[in-house]
Amino acid sequence: MLIEIQGLKLDLDGKSVLRDVNLTMEKGQIYGLLGPNGAGKSSNISLITGLRQPTAGLIRVLGLDPAKESLGLHRRIGVLAEQAGFYDWMAAVAYMHWFARLYGIQLSAKEISLALDQVGLDAGNQSAISSYSRGMLQRLGLARALLHRPELLILDEPTNGLDPRGRRDIHDVLLDLANNHNVGILLCTHLLDDVDRLCSRIGIIAQGHTVLEGSLADLLGIRAAAQRYRLRVTANAVPAILPSEITLLSQSGNWWHVEIAGNARPEEAWRVLFDTDFPVEEIHREGGGLEDLYLSVTQVDREAK
Amino acid sequence: MTNPIILIARKESGELLLSGRGITWLLALSIVMSVLSLLLVSNTELSLLDNASVVYMVMGTVTALGSLLAVVLGTDAIAGERERGSLWPLLLAPVTPSQIVLGKMGGQTAGWIVMYLLSLPYVWAVGSSGQNLAQAVIYLALFATPVVLGFGFFCIGLSARVHHVRTALLTGLITLMLLASPLLLGPSLRQSGIGKLFDAVNPFSAALNTFDSVVIDSQTLAVQSSRLVVTLVWLVTTALFAMRSMRKIKI
Repeated sequence: MLIEIQGLKLDLDGKSVLRDVNLTMEKGQIYGLLGPNGAGKSSNISLITGLRQPTAGLIRVLGLDPAKESLGLHRRIGVLAEQAGFYDWMAAVAYMHWFARLYGIQLSAKEISLALDQVGLDAGNQSAISSYSRGMLQRLGLARALLHRPELLILDEPTNGLDPRGRRDIHDVLLDLANNHNVGILLCTHLLDDVDRLCSRIGIIAQGHTVLEGSLADLLGIRAAAQRYRLRVTANAVPAILPSEITLLSQSGNWWHVEIAGNARPEEAWRVLFDTDFPVEEIHREGGGLEDLYLSVTQVDREAK
Repeated sequence: MTNPIILIARKESGELLLSGRGITWLLALSIVMSVLSLLLVSNTELSLLDNASVVYMVMGTVTALGSLLAVVLGTDAIAGERERGSLWPLLLAPVTPSQIVLGKMGGQTAGWIVMYLLSLPYVWAVGSSGQNLAQAVIYLALFATPVVLGFGFFCIGLSARVHHVRTALLTGLITLMLLASPLLLGPSLRQSGIGKLFDAVNPFSAALNTFDSVVIDSQTLAVQSSRLVVTLVWLVTTALFAMRSMRKIKI
């Protein structure tokens, strides 16, 4: 197992940042770690990489305890943090040479060129990194994370700032690493399209704890049993008078996002709704994909809070 | 395989010598030294100041400017990297916090060596007509080095403990001004009990009083040993502070 986390807890300055986080990840898997801003994803990464020590719980990464064996772990993992910083007065090639030597690796010019080429950067570009665009910096950050051929890659928003073609290129690199080189990839992102295309397993963190974890196919299969709709209601609609078969998930202005319980028939639910003269103007069926799953579990958790 | 400490120290020195920010600082320091030297040489020519006083003033200025540069480089060492996002990759490389901080200290040392070499032509310009040029060069290296590096190490420690460069820089500058305050105190205040005590434990005063004793009063090194101890204690204490702070680094 690449990562095993059970009942992880982290308190910082007397405040509970993480409580009961669980995550399991195998070799060659691309794992999508999702959650709203401030949910605790970055704190979770700092624990996985050994930059912080957990308050309680079990955490093993590549069979190592990150807090106690961080040096050995760092040799085997590659990380692209959300704020990927560089020494911007250097050229990319010089930077890659310097960074490789920090890992005790002496790379030839050809190897550096290949590493940059893999992420779509031109090794012949001798301009300082300060002149790079956001997308180029993301690519350079990925090249840096891959430099020492890690067994586990931890990427925080890796496709931020990339155009559609750039995103697709990075997707292809990640899929190749996972499928052909057995590299495990922990992907933290807000872009559900990335998760949909890349990940075989996901975990959703909200309010500092894991609200859902499992294989994407299983989770979407479960959710398919539920039936979600968007309703356009008039201004005087009150959630309290919704029939019991219909659950309000979220609302934005006159648009309500509702779910009909899995054992109820939609036509029955609508009949009850109309019988009570509920002020509904339009009903739309929703896809029931990853976005719905994400919105529903994070919404439920927010309400519970 | 190159030692990570050397790699980080080389990178730090490279930043000072190759980055726009570093070159601007060195250029600014050169301009200040040029203006000061010109004024002092003019004063000597007009017999307003004797040669020894002028050399002493240049030595004090080099120490003060070196300390200022050390404060700026030191506060940027960790907090600056954190703000620019380049600290995470460094912390996630197979390098211990001690190696990182030792590398940063190496960079500080290189910065001071550059500053010291840069100051030598100015010391020569004002001191070449007198008898104390050699003492100036030697005592500047001997006493200014621990003072300047101590400020740098202190600020590296500060920058590991706080989140922002601004906080570290402000604290570093206030400390520098506090320790340099004897320069601003009048002779009567310096002769009071508190003034004497402050002078006795203050590394900045120790260096300046040594320059005064050696260049103006022509005393020997043996007389300055207690002052040398003060500056070395300052250097060791700040180095330990930096090492300890790195273990408590804010990420």
